[in-house]
Amino acid sequence: MDDYSPREKISLPFFGIPKLFPFLKPYRATIAIMVFMGFLSSLIDSIYPMFNRYALDHFVGSMTLQGMGPFLVIYFLILAFQCVINYRSMFGAGKVEMSVDRDLRNAAFNHLQTLSFSYFNQNSVGYVHARVMSDTGKIGEAVSWRMMDCVWNGAYILFAIIIMLIIDFKLALWILLLMAAAVVLITLFQRKLVNLNRHIRELNSTITGDFNEGIVGARSIKLLGIEDKMQKEFEEDTEKMRRVSVHTARVNAFLISAVAMMSSAALAIVLWQGQGLTRDAVLKIGTLSVFMSYALGMIEPLQTIIQNISVFIAIQVNIERLTRLLAEPADVADTPEVTQKYGDSFHPKKENWEELKGDVTFEDVTFRYPDGEEYIMEHFDLHVPAGTNVAIVGETGAGKSTLVSLVCRFYEPTKGRVLIDGRDARERSQLWLHSNLGYVLQTPHLFSGSVRDNLRYGKSDASDEEIMEALRMVRADGIVERMGGLDAEVGEGGSSLSTGEKQLLSIARALLADPALLVLDEATSSIDTLTEKALQDAIAVVTKGRTAFVIAHRLSTITGADIILVVDDGKIVEHGTHAGLMKEKGKYYALYTKQFRQETTADALG
Amino acid sequence: MKRTKDKTETYTRFGMMRCFLSGSWYIFAAGMIFAVLVSFLSMVEPRLITFVVDSVISDKAPQLPGFALSWLEAAGGVGMLRARPWMIAALIMSVALLAGLCRYLFRSLNGLAAETFIKEMRDRLFYKIEHLPYAWHGANSTGDIIQRCTSDVETIKVFVSEQLTGLIRVVVLIVLSVIFMAQIDPKMTLIASIFIPVVVGYSLFFYSRIASAFEKADEEEGRLSAIAQENLTGVRVVRAFGREMYERERFEKQNAYYTGFWIHLIKILTINWVVGDLMTGLQYILVIVMGSVFCVRGQITAGQFIAFVYYNTMLVWPVRSLGRVVSEMSKAGISLDRLRYIMNAEDEPQVEKEPEEGAVWQTLGAAAAGSAAPPDICFEHVSFSYPGSPKQVIRDVSLTIPAGTTLGILGPTGAGKSTLMYLLERLYPLEEGGGRITLGGRDIREIPVSELRGTIGMMQQESFLFSRSLKDNIAIAADDAGMDAVEAACLTADLLDTAQRFPSGFETFVGERGVTLSGGQKQRTAIAQTLIRECPVMIFDDALSAVDAETDERIRAALRERTDGATVIFIAHRVSTLQQADNIIVFEKGRITQQGTHEELLAQDGMYSRIYRLQTQEIT
Repeated sequence: MDDYSPREKISLPFFGIPKLFPFLKPYRATIAIMVFMGFLSSLIDSIYPMFNRYALDHFVGSMTLQGMGPFLVIYFLILAFQCVINYRSMFGAGKVEMSVDRDLRNAAFNHLQTLSFSYFNQNSVGYVHARVMSDTGKIGEAVSWRMMDCVWNGAYILFAIIIMLIIDFKLALWILLLMAAAVVLITLFQRKLVNLNRHIRELNSTITGDFNEGIVGARSIKLLGIEDKMQKEFEEDTEKMRRVSVHTARVNAFLISAVAMMSSAALAIVLWQGQGLTRDAVLKIGTLSVFMSYALGMIEPLQTIIQNISVFIAIQVNIERLTRLLAEPADVADTPEVTQKYGDSFHPKKENWEELKGDVTFEDVTFRYPDGEEYIMEHFDLHVPAGTNVAIVGETGAGKSTLVSLVCRFYEPTKGRVLIDGRDARERSQLWLHSNLGYVLQTPHLFSGSVRDNLRYGKSDASDEEIMEALRMVRADGIVERMGGLDAEVGEGGSSLSTGEKQLLSIARALLADPALLVLDEATSSIDTLTEKALQDAIAVVTKGRTAFVIAHRLSTITGADIILVVDDGKIVEHGTHAGLMKEKGKYYALYTKQFRQETTADALG
Repeated sequence: MKRTKDKTETYTRFGMMRCFLSGSWYIFAAGMIFAVLVSFLSMVEPRLITFVVDSVISDKAPQLPGFALSWLEAAGGVGMLRARPWMIAALIMSVALLAGLCRYLFRSLNGLAAETFIKEMRDRLFYKIEHLPYAWHGANSTGDIIQRCTSDVETIKVFVSEQLTGLIRVVVLIVLSVIFMAQIDPKMTLIASIFIPVVVGYSLFFYSRIASAFEKADEEEGRLSAIAQENLTGVRVVRAFGREMYERERFEKQNAYYTGFWIHLIKILTINWVVGDLMTGLQYILVIVMGSVFCVRGQITAGQFIAFVYYNTMLVWPVRSLGRVVSEMSKAGISLDRLRYIMNAEDEPQVEKEPEEGAVWQTLGAAAAGSAAPPDICFEHVSFSYPGSPKQVIRDVSLTIPAGTTLGILGPTGAGKSTLMYLLERLYPLEEGGGRITLGGRDIREIPVSELRGTIGMMQQESFLFSRSLKDNIAIAADDAGMDAVEAACLTADLLDTAQRFPSGFETFVGERGVTLSGGQKQRTAIAQTLIRECPVMIFDDALSAVDAETDERIRAALRERTDGATVIFIAHRVSTLQQADNIIVFEKGRITQQGTHEELLAQDGMYSRIYRLQTQEIT
């Protein structure tokens, strides 16, 4: 769905086109050629009436067919020449459009790969997606077709005016006067239409929203017995839409009729002023016909240009948003020295990468989110020796994922340091760390594609045997078999699998990557008992012998962890082993007791 | 009250168009009359030019229709026009004004008709969707239905209001031009119109051939868009596995392929345009050359020659667009079928079967208004499996819920507790031989659904918020409820404080496009929404799972006070929620396994007492 920010108004110099220069530069030769060809084509268009004039003044006027042969040949050659030119300029425009589109999309997509999580937390997927897919398309069209439209029509008007002025100055001035009036009128209406169309788009998304509500909320609507009420309100919205659209249609109808009438007015002026001149033999009939052609063909190009200008005005918002995205700095970025040694995300220098052992130390870490006010962590110290299992527990929304985000360097400490194997995480590249990291999300994300593609995500050269081995270790081989083997498609977002199954597959994916550091966010959504048992076993397999951070929702699964951190309201309030914490009878004890009741109830019910 | 079983109409393509067009066809027709007038008036302009060039500027006898000639003579002949040249302009402008008026009326009427037409489609679709059985909603994906209700509707609107009317206009224009030209000179007309069938045939051929390429381009764009979408939703996985490079390659590869495909397509399209340009240009040359020849031979005048060029110019664009319009019209048929899929689905019947003759029952409508006692509810050997599934979800359940009592239901997830309630609300109809459910002695299949659901208010496990203010959400099923009633219901549901703490209070906009409420707030909103309806029977399905035990207790105490006299059914996992019920059932795998009061069930060795112990024991 196209998203638009309501009434975002932006005014940039030259419609913001200069901001796009870096993207237009590679095609400047093509653009120059197509603009030149466009001029040439319009010049030829404005010459055509002259053939008409010659025919009327020479053949008809002198009642002779002499010179018909050359006339025909020249006419045809010019036509053929124009066709070649048109092919060049139109194909050029198409190529520039698609190429600029492609380059902008690539640039936006690639830049997004380097942006930090804080960016993705602040901007919805829909918003970012629209920048990559829809803004780029609009911009590509503007710098090619819209621009060419202005060239074609602008050049035609220019040449026609020049020729008219040369032929008969006074008659030409009359036409210019009419054109000035047309510009004022069309501009006025165009502005009105732009506003009305925006209103229509808003209403359109309201109606789509109504349909969505009527379908998604069908059960509630039936149970509440409010079908008639919903229908009535829906009809109010469609009626509003109808009224605005009909009004828009009327404004449009008026503009179209007015433009057509102005063309006729131009004709009327030419015949009124011209007939006397022609009769007095100042003008020949052919010349009069030239004027008629120009006069009639002048207003529509004007309208096209004005429409295109309103497109350029509208496009500024898209240019602004896209360039803002491209200029967005990454909150977490490698220093130039680090990049020089270890490479960046797209050009890693793996030969310089050290092995990661998995020793993690928090040293006086103070942290708040880049977009947050409050400190989540203050002067926090923790040492996690390599191979230690750390469990993080706490209520939903207590901030359990903050800690692991710092370990993964998705965020960096506001103050203090996170050390990996004794060295500041910032001293080595993000890709180095992430290549040694396994991550299992609470809502596991699988990509569309085969099971094999998905499992290889962590290790692109894994053989089928290795994949099957990993699947067997977490006992997910049965799932894959049932799906029909490694070639089976998982569907977008893994929609053909249950959450538990997806989680098992993503654990296998992490296991296959064999990372020194593992982060695991347990699934919270209700999964059946059998899958849950399988999951617990899988977690035990995958965390064994590694530095692992497990965000736990089911406390019974982590009683064996080496360290348990209890998070409350974004702060670490207790830490220790299960036995120690139970003895303290603090927050952990309360949590555990409450959960134990719920779980045993669920077990008994299940 | 006697109702006949609603019959769903089955529409053919034609029948459905007729139904959608019922309120707008005559507006379209009126618009078309003006469209034809516009075409006719645009034929007059070249005739005026011919007249001016031949008879005013030159001295040929005016070739005009009889009535126009006699007017001209009466006004003083050509000489008068030469003396007052502004009258020529006035003449042209009056024709232009008339044409402009007709054009305006055509466009406005066409716009009015199109918008009336699309409103009719939308309203009918929405009505239909609201009145389809719930099972239909379960069987169809939301995205697909929305697609049908938005873009397919739009396609059909464009088909009727732009393509069909456009086609008629172009055909009328061509016919009129040929007639007008033929009046001047038949041979020249033949030459001037020879390219029309060629250009139309060529573009028709071209656009129908290229249609599949456009579809492929759309698919490739969809693929590219999906890669970007997945990358953005899975950004955490991409980063965590350090797969930025892989993602970049994947995107760039598809991006290059998609772009390449389009450039290839644009090349074909450009060739097509240029061929069109060439054909049009050749047509021009032919008209000018042959026009000159005919002029020199004295077969036509200079003015008529100009008129021929003018007619030719007028026809170029409509003729060139004709092929594309016709080839795109085929899309409308597909869209129409996609709408027929919705419109031809069987409605949810008001009653499943007719009450037996002579049976007189008190209407539940009175009960719904709160003036009568609630009815007894009786399940008699009810069994049920979901449509298309062989698995029985409800197995031979018999249960009586006397009027005014409270029933508690305990059972594991997936045991069929909610399904049992859905059957009572007739969200799913009971199959033949699946037993029966009665309400006050009446088979629920004989009770109109609106009456049934007005009597039994059900608060669902997963509550749905409508996109509107909090107040409107609560009062959504109680139109005449005032602010007092809303506040009272909120007080009982323990939502009043929360609501008043919102910056905009009860006017806070919630739902998909509004403020996000927490699970507990959503549940309490749904409770208030159910309470305000004051139904004689109320069902609370897992109503308090997202609130803590103390709030749970507070809400229940308030509920007890408020629902005094009503029949109440609670579904819950917390024994404390259920223990005060008059009757409690334990529901497992579609069956009632235990039944009794709290004390009776505690005395039995079963799931109830086991869970009670688990939930009350001390943990060390």
